[in-house]
Amino acid sequence: MPPLLTDPVALAGRTAPSRAVFGAHETNLGRGRALSDRHTAYYRRRAEGGAGVIVTETASVTPDDHPYEYAPLASACAPGWRRIAAACRPHGALVLAGLGHAGAQGSGAHSQHVLWAPSPVADVVSREMPAAMEKEQIDEVVAGFAAAAAAACEAGADGVEVDAGGYSLLRQFQSGLSNLREDAYGADRLLLTRRVLDAVRAAIGGDRVLALRMSCDELAPWAGTTPEQAAGQVRLLAPRADLLTVVRAGPMAPRALRPDAHTPPGFNLELCAAMRRAARGRALVSLQGSVVDPAQAQAALDAGAADLVEMVRAQIADARLVALVRAGEPERIRPCLLCNQACQVRDDRNPPVSCVGDPRSGHELEDPDPEPAAPPPPAAVRAMPFGAGGPPEEVLVVGGGPAGLECARVLAGRGLRVRLVERTRRLGGMLRTAAALDPAAASAEALRAAVSSPRRPPPAPAVSSGPPGAPVAGRMRLGLLADWLESECVRLGVRLETGTEATAADLDAVLDRGGRVVLATGSRAAPPDADTGGVPVLDVAGAVARPGLLPADGALLVHDPVGGPVGVAAAELLAARGREVRLACPDTVAGRLLAPTGDLADANGRLQRAGVVRELRCRLESAGGGRAVLRDVWTAARREVECAAVVDCGPRLPEDALHLHRPDLPRCGDAVAPRTALEAVLEGRRTALALAGAAGPAPVPPTGAPAPAVMAEPAEAAEGAPR
Amino acid sequence: MSPARTYRYLFTPLRVGPLTLANRIVFCAHLTNYAEDGAPTARHAAYYAARAAGGAGLIITEEHSTHPTDHPYEKLIRGYDPAVVAGYRRITEAVHAHGVPVLAQLNHNGGQASSMYTRLPVWAPSPVPDPLFREVPKAVEEHEIAEVVEGYARTARHCALGGFDGVELQCSHSSIVRGFLSPAANRRTDRWGGPLENRARLLLELVRAVREAIGPDLALGVRLCGDELIEGGTVLEEAVRTARMVEATGAVDYINTSIGSATSTLHMIEASMQVPPGYAMYVPSAIREAVRLPVVGVGRFKDPLQADRALAAGQADLIGVVRGQIADPEFAAKARTGRAAEIRTCLSCNQECVGRMGLNRWLGCIENPEAGREAEQAAGRAPVPLPAPRRRGRRVLVVGGGPGGLQAAASAARRGHEVVLLEREHRTGGQIVPAASVPSRAELLDLVRNLAAEAARYGAELRTGVAADAGTVLAERPDAVVLATGALPQAPWWAGGHPRVVDVRDVLGGAAEPRGRVVVFDELGFHQAVSVAELLADRGCAVEVVTPAMSVGQDLGVTLDLEAAAVKAHAAGTVWSTDRICTGAERAEGGGVLLRLQHHPTGAEESRSVDWVVCAVHQRPDDALWSELRRAGGDSKARFDVHRVGDCLAPRRAHSAVIEGHRAAVAL
Repeated sequence: MPPLLTDPVALAGRTAPSRAVFGAHETNLGRGRALSDRHTAYYRRRAEGGAGVIVTETASVTPDDHPYEYAPLASACAPGWRRIAAACRPHGALVLAGLGHAGAQGSGAHSQHVLWAPSPVADVVSREMPAAMEKEQIDEVVAGFAAAAAAACEAGADGVEVDAGGYSLLRQFQSGLSNLREDAYGADRLLLTRRVLDAVRAAIGGDRVLALRMSCDELAPWAGTTPEQAAGQVRLLAPRADLLTVVRAGPMAPRALRPDAHTPPGFNLELCAAMRRAARGRALVSLQGSVVDPAQAQAALDAGAADLVEMVRAQIADARLVALVRAGEPERIRPCLLCNQACQVRDDRNPPVSCVGDPRSGHELEDPDPEPAAPPPPAAVRAMPFGAGGPPEEVLVVGGGPAGLECARVLAGRGLRVRLVERTRRLGGMLRTAAALDPAAASAEALRAAVSSPRRPPPAPAVSSGPPGAPVAGRMRLGLLADWLESECVRLGVRLETGTEATAADLDAVLDRGGRVVLATGSRAAPPDADTGGVPVLDVAGAVARPGLLPADGALLVHDPVGGPVGVAAAELLAARGREVRLACPDTVAGRLLAPTGDLADANGRLQRAGVVRELRCRLESAGGGRAVLRDVWTAARREVECAAVVDCGPRLPEDALHLHRPDLPRCGDAVAPRTALEAVLEGRRTALALAGAAGPAPVPPTGAPAPAVMAEPAEAAEGAPR
Repeated sequence: MSPARTYRYLFTPLRVGPLTLANRIVFCAHLTNYAEDGAPTARHAAYYAARAAGGAGLIITEEHSTHPTDHPYEKLIRGYDPAVVAGYRRITEAVHAHGVPVLAQLNHNGGQASSMYTRLPVWAPSPVPDPLFREVPKAVEEHEIAEVVEGYARTARHCALGGFDGVELQCSHSSIVRGFLSPAANRRTDRWGGPLENRARLLLELVRAVREAIGPDLALGVRLCGDELIEGGTVLEEAVRTARMVEATGAVDYINTSIGSATSTLHMIEASMQVPPGYAMYVPSAIREAVRLPVVGVGRFKDPLQADRALAAGQADLIGVVRGQIADPEFAAKARTGRAAEIRTCLSCNQECVGRMGLNRWLGCIENPEAGREAEQAAGRAPVPLPAPRRRGRRVLVVGGGPGGLQAAASAARRGHEVVLLEREHRTGGQIVPAASVPSRAELLDLVRNLAAEAARYGAELRTGVAADAGTVLAERPDAVVLATGALPQAPWWAGGHPRVVDVRDVLGGAAEPRGRVVVFDELGFHQAVSVAELLADRGCAVEVVTPAMSVGQDLGVTLDLEAAAVKAHAAGTVWSTDRICTGAERAEGGGVLLRLQHHPTGAEESRSVDWVVCAVHQRPDDALWSELRRAGGDSKARFDVHRVGDCLAPRRAHSAVIEGHRAAVAL
């Protein structure tokens, strides 16, 4: 019988308490190049939540390798490994130290030294030319892996993971794309990996876990490693390792490792199954690749495609994932949206890892836990009716978008009686609009399903690489967060009233009887900053929800001064509906703000394949008479394009009518300033915790309330100071 | 001629409120990314102290944030946090040791920021997103404005405690004060918006509160933007009116100036060599006519004579020299003592200073390997001390006279070694020479002039026209060898040996002279392709730049050269085509090229019938001598160390060559 995701598994004589792996990933939580206390808290929370194996952020094994500013350096990591192992051990999770070397995919910007690689082949993205390694450098890397592995185990790690995955020197040696050597390392491209594995095994012994993360498809079949070649490599390497994590990524597609929702979840299933067959039971095999649903993970185990499943983003979104599956409540797991908005942190600005749905992720030391230690059983909650016949609400939340829903959820979880009113007939606010901006929702039925308020939206069609121009479901998943917030509110007894507009008098009534009110009223469209008197101008939300408002014929101009996901998605959706679309944006690429999510290049490719004309580097100056005038932001050259209507994706304004009535009331989310779902959830949560009088390690007052303890005294400020 | 006669005004003292400056050269505020945990570091102190020791008349530190809602970039100094005071003392003591006054700049960046680090809404006058950050800010309420004012006062008190001689309010290019002043960002209808008197209210409130906080004995300056260069933004006439209001408070000691907005027209704030020196002096000129306060002028001052002339013309009372003093901390002292020719002149290349700021990296300099590393050096008499060499007086042979070889020769000679440099060509400079042959890139040649002069000054012997092989090297009987043999162009696989598919170096060096229709194919994303395209368009060619990347000149954005390049390309009729790879180059009639392209997002096949194709592609290391030395003397390593620096190790940019050349010399 196939194992359950929650079943233990033995590795090198040690036992992982579940088969869910929290794999190595960039966090930017480090202090310099050492692992920090923020790392410890971050990993501890996942161990508490039931993760079976935790692989710490990949550390460079030699000091010349400095791929990003806070990339851990193995020689500085022993204290951190020791703290993390000690923090996770009580919960049973096995802790493996991630070890690697980024080779040509590093950067000389931090080290101010040359990059070392198998051959002088520059990385496609950075265009930085490396130097070919000679014997001295190769021996140094092998010794570096062995020394780092010994140090990690000495510090209490249960083993190590050797990185031959996305950003790795070992993969560069394995690949015909980057290894053009004429010596033994070129004749046998696996030689360095074998030397490293043998040296590491010798350093750690047989009773510690030796895991290997390996790219088994470089997505560049002309010279890169193909699944067929990888199977041969796995046959050779499996006997040397205890655990093999199968990934796909290569120099042409480094972001394919953790793609957003435009790539269907579980995309490595077949690849992993093939590698598991090649491994012939000599090593256990872990499935990686956007597996965020425990049911999909279980299906992979059932099918024998894998022995363990790496679920990184799922456990960033909800650290309790395994525990909730074990408790038989998988529906309570906060869903990962595969939005990549806050968890992909390979970014020069060094953002700390976090999550749109759970902004406490990565901020475990600063943010209080919004979940009550022991939630009241659902039955008990339901036994506290209020409203008609019962006691009145203690808190009225105005607005049912992510800010209002999160606020209501957290308040109800702390035992308060909460009523939430939403003006429209659906809950979810702008999340619903964002989710509906999906070309796969081009049909009327799909659109209805996405924007109306089902308990669960239709599963995203698994379309990944159809014919050019085929719609790709990339945004429907955003609705999952709205669904989850809604169902949690229901479970916790929040009274949800849709189609109800709160008036100033309603607010006063609640306040008069001693209740509290939170404004989460969201945003409204702002007119575009251009002379558009001559053509219909539709706000993007309206254009999506009611396509009938658009003129039946003629080219549509999607106006996107923000350069974000909304404009790109709106253009894709309208093109999928068969419209002629131009996307006007001020940058040299469309969707500039998508860069951190990894979707920037893909989005521009999809737009071009869908026939969307990208009007780049321009501002909309005017529109009228079926034409729009666009002006180049640099040369000021004007050009005229056809334009039957403008679909405006510009910045929005706070919906502030009730705020102007009662400026003293706490506000959260777009009602303060229209931003993303992350800020909405974060502020909804903070507002709730402030109202519920929660105390945490460093409580943060809600926005809208008078200033935070900004003017802290020295000692206090030093303690609270992040990094 | 004595310096006193060379410079009529530059080295005359000036009273600025309570301070007397020894000369007119100011090291104005600029970001360094040296802060750690929101606090200034020893690195800051050593960096400013080096410029003070080098003779600057006044130092103004980078901005100190006045409020927790302000955190636009990671390595910001949190001036509102009392923990900064210890770091302030370290800076002020280090600078004062050289008798130079030092001011702190105070700022809140307002809407020119994101919530990424604060996790708090961004504060601004109105919910108008910034053109760069594109985050809708929260329109500040009355009590929040009061908090901003108190934050400035609090930070000013920290500065006074920390020993600063005064503070400067940055109201110019990235500031909540700029936001309030600017009609483009301030759409308020209350007493903080509308007529200039209202928009300037925050500034005047801040002046009052900060003066109260620092008392009468410290200096207070205000830096104003003379022209935002954005639609509907602040223009010069308003800036002059604002300057008058500032003067009328009676609480301000000087006015500093700038031009542009950091998040939309940064290329005019930190202009590269494409913009003429002194381009912004119309701003201080106009303000100086309207007020009696001393006025600071800035804008690509890289030569002391140029600064003196601006003073003589009455354009300003003080001159900001930032990049000039990053490149050479002794800029002022060398000018004052008649050694102006020894100044390591700034190139305005923006590669390692400005370019690294936008990427969240610490500030450096393409030609000053010590910039940002001053604190790592042992204290010594020289402002930029070098560590003691392992062994003095060794015979060092440098092969190759590009920037890497020249830097190695200069640093080694300076440290007392006996240095001979062999250069194959008839002049030194390597690839910098052809690169600087494009008119808009001419100032790049200063790098070669500076390095060659420095090497010669310290006694290195530069022999040009000498090709070196292993025999030549052995015949010199060196104790150590530095190989800086550079890189060689390589034809891409798809070129098929076509004689009219040439390298950028062939064109800039004169070996090929394309005419007619030309495709410039760019894999490098930097100056190479855009420069050669500019040159060929000037010669009358019809040019198309083709790149596999999503945009042309990706890295030119980093050095603030992209916008000017785009404008020039547009004016010349040069077409920029992205997302295309080359798949073949066939011979066409008349000797031309039928170039096969593929638009990779769609897979569409295209072709171009052109006369020439010029490639800006990766080069290969010229490491023949390295291999030869390794092969020839199996034991040659035993007789002398061999170091590789720059492109012969891996072909990269000039900074890598310079820093590796310096490092090799230090390691001797």
